[in-house]
Amino acid sequence: MREILLRTEKLSKSFSNGGNLQHVLKNIDLQLYKGDFTVIMGASGAGKSTLLYALSGMDTPTLGTITFGDEVISDFNSDELAVFRRKHCGFVFQQIYLIDGMSVMDNVLAAGLLVNKDKKALVKKAEEFFSAVDISEETQNKFPTQISGGEAQRVGIVRALINSPEILFADEPTGALNSKTGLDVLDTLTKFNDQGQSVVMVTHDMRSARRGNRILYLKDGVILGECDLGKYVHGDAERHTKLSAFLTEMGW
Amino acid sequence: MRSLKKHIFLIGLLLVLAAEVVTLIAFAAQSIDNTQDAVAINEAIQSVQNDWNTMETHTNQTDLEYVVLDMEGAVVFKTKEGLSESINAAVIHRDTVLDINVNNVIVGKIILYNDSAQIMQNRKQSAVIILLAAILVQGGICIGYTIYLNRTVIKPFHKLEGFAERVAGGNLDVPLEMDRHNLFGAFTESFDIMRAELKKARIAEAEANASKKELVAKLSHDIKTPVASIKAASEVGAVFTSDEKIKDNYAQIIRKADQINTLVTELFTATLEELQQLPVMPTDIESNELGILLESADYLNRAIIPDIPDCLIYADRLRLQQVFDNIFVNSYKYANTKIDITLRRDDDSLAVEIEDYGGGVETEELPILKEKFKRGSNAKNMDGAGLGLYISEYFMQQMQGQLDIQNGSTGLRVTVRIPLSGLI
Repeated sequence: MREILLRTEKLSKSFSNGGNLQHVLKNIDLQLYKGDFTVIMGASGAGKSTLLYALSGMDTPTLGTITFGDEVISDFNSDELAVFRRKHCGFVFQQIYLIDGMSVMDNVLAAGLLVNKDKKALVKKAEEFFSAVDISEETQNKFPTQISGGEAQRVGIVRALINSPEILFADEPTGALNSKTGLDVLDTLTKFNDQGQSVVMVTHDMRSARRGNRILYLKDGVILGECDLGKYVHGDAERHTKLSAFLTEMGW
Repeated sequence: MRSLKKHIFLIGLLLVLAAEVVTLIAFAAQSIDNTQDAVAINEAIQSVQNDWNTMETHTNQTDLEYVVLDMEGAVVFKTKEGLSESINAAVIHRDTVLDINVNNVIVGKIILYNDSAQIMQNRKQSAVIILLAAILVQGGICIGYTIYLNRTVIKPFHKLEGFAERVAGGNLDVPLEMDRHNLFGAFTESFDIMRAELKKARIAEAEANASKKELVAKLSHDIKTPVASIKAASEVGAVFTSDEKIKDNYAQIIRKADQINTLVTELFTATLEELQQLPVMPTDIESNELGILLESADYLNRAIIPDIPDCLIYADRLRLQQVFDNIFVNSYKYANTKIDITLRRDDDSLAVEIEDYGGGVETEELPILKEKFKRGSNAKNMDGAGLGLYISEYFMQQMQGQLDIQNGSTGLRVTVRIPLSGLI
């Protein structure tokens, strides 16, 4: 029995669109497990990002409950949610949003200091992560405008992980990157997942999706199906076939 | 006279046939007279014998043709050219050869011309001519008759075919053009009468429908006017009161007035037979809206609305309201007790259980409650048509939901199962 990290019950999210209620998520019952690399796939407008934002406490659901451990985070107010996110969630987006006036290292430390006041320990931790994602000491002292997109995204991952979040949420992390640098970022995510980091990633890119061990397919606000791929192994052709078959079945 | 004209072809054909038969019989019956006129032959021989010595001046005194030869075979007389002029030729031509006797001494031969072949030939020719003429006349009659049939039978039938198609297709305006004098005149005329009658009936039906609609329109307008006044008065009342409870009551009145308006508007189009066409348009609704619907249906406040499990349901608000209204009104009518509401969320539906304290109905009556125009045995003194639960079930089915009726522990328990969104 795997440990459940996060659970939703009849999660629904509606937006008012010019007086018309639009239901983007409909009665979603979902469990996320510790150590999983969960991938949420689906066509544009299926509700992928909305689901990610609701799961990560960035947005509150219209109906239903989200439970993290013993805490029902769907009942939290926005201040409580902010604390929850800072302590338990890490975020990687398509846009990286590093602060231009701070060095790469300082960008990471700024995020860490919100939770942990021990700067020395933080620097040590950051250096470990930087070496794990192949960011040299020289690059660490550069400013965000001086580094490449691929490097910036890897810095973003380090920043997201500095507080040792229970879940790392990634929304199209390779969306703005070219093929090669995108692959580096995926390798980085896979590596951290192998070390036990739970990852939830939204993508509509099949190459990215292949990294996950559990693929959820979202359509019109409903989880239409899911596919268990097992842990990622590089160069596994069968994995690709299985994922293709699943996506075909889902009407991808 | 008319019947003669009608049968002119037939009569003509029969006449020609008769003529042919008569001709053939006559031809067959006519015995060919191959005997020769013995008297004329004797006469000819006599005259030749008498004139034997002066054959130069001999003339033919009979209508026979003949040649006279002497014993040496030389021609001494012939009535015309082209006859057999030797015994040999005469034998071949089957001519009659007789001796010429003068004083018991044979002095020559007379060859009497055989004309029976000629006669036969002539007869044959005339028979062929008569038969040919008869066949031509017959052919003519047949062609004429075919043309006549085509004009009087086949063409009208083709016309009738197109006509029937048009009538079947609902086009009743095009009359059937027919020559009343033709064979089918009366027959086709009755078809056209049928079309005209159909058209009349259809117009009458449309008029009846229109007047029914007019009546309903008038009635619904009559109903809407006081309802509008009630609504307006309630709105004013709600503005001028500060008591929350009374405000709620006014809001309830306004909601109900709106519902009456909606239902009355539907009367325009929906008669009982058109029940199947009542539109049910489910959408995604937040489950907490059920509270408003239930509260609105329970206008006597007999029930306590429980907490509603959070979920998105798939339902048509107006129709669901009608379903709840029906259930509550039934309970008020037959049980008239307090009512319990239980809400339960399953994997794929939200079940709303509504149960009163009226003791329920006979078990064997349970299945008929939802049927059209059927009512329980305790309904005799109550007004109603026996349609409420029938329509309610139809609405729930259209929403992919369910309506179940059973006897609970305290009274009749109606379970409305509303599907959750995202399952269909």
